[in-house]
Amino acid sequence: MATFLVILHGLLAVVLLGGITHQAASVAWPSRSGTGVIRSFRAVSGSLYTNANIALFIATATLGSIIYPLYRVSVRTYLENARLNSAVGSFELKEQFIAVGLGMLPFYWLLWRRPPEAGATFARIAVTLMLAFIVWYGFLVGHVLNNIRGLFGL
Amino acid sequence: MNTDKVFPIFAAAFAVIYVLAVQYNWALFTYHPKTGEWGWLGEPARNGPPMYWYGWLVTSTFGATAASLLSWPVVRRWPAQLWLGWLVPLVVMLIFVYLFRGFFVR
Repeated sequence: MATFLVILHGLLAVVLLGGITHQAASVAWPSRSGTGVIRSFRAVSGSLYTNANIALFIATATLGSIIYPLYRVSVRTYLENARLNSAVGSFELKEQFIAVGLGMLPFYWLLWRRPPEAGATFARIAVTLMLAFIVWYGFLVGHVLNNIRGLFGL
Repeated sequence: MNTDKVFPIFAAAFAVIYVLAVQYNWALFTYHPKTGEWGWLGEPARNGPPMYWYGWLVTSTFGATAASLLSWPVVRRWPAQLWLGWLVPLVVMLIFVYLFRGFFVR
């Protein structure tokens, strides 16, 4: 069951990565032309992703919180015994970043709800890039920790 | 209530209360994963490591909601302070990097 939940957690994170990266590219590096792979990636309508990204962020974080006790009891204990402090610290940061991201979701929704005014454009870019960073960081740390014994030959 | 003015306050208050909750362990409740037990506030370890993260989240949610409601009479007269909603969480993230530096520099 735990393995199924970890895989589901990872799959949801992959979908969220796609959505938030598309939106971040569209707002921070917009393109009017849809020709070519990179330009097409940046030319999407970012506002379409907002509700899906919020739902995926909450669903992924909720699933992560369900499997978190397993990490705390088994995985973290192993990492501490193996003196892998950087790995433990990376997960601690992930935990805190995700929490900060959860608190930003209502503001993120607000900024994408309507066309940005002059003063809201920068806030929209900043919040979207921060959430994109949090999602990428969380995904990479989770992925590396999940495979740490194989990746580092432990 | 105008969400344009309240949601940036909520995001900022949530981040500030959360970092304080982590630093001073203001968890509303504690989960003991090895025994499956729950306890009020930040309890010490019983049998195995305690988990405070859920408690910190709830503390921050309640605190940020209260801060947003209490600040409404003041902020309703001001233009929306959108910068609060991203700059404060960004600073809090950097504070966390500083607080957890011990994991990486030892």
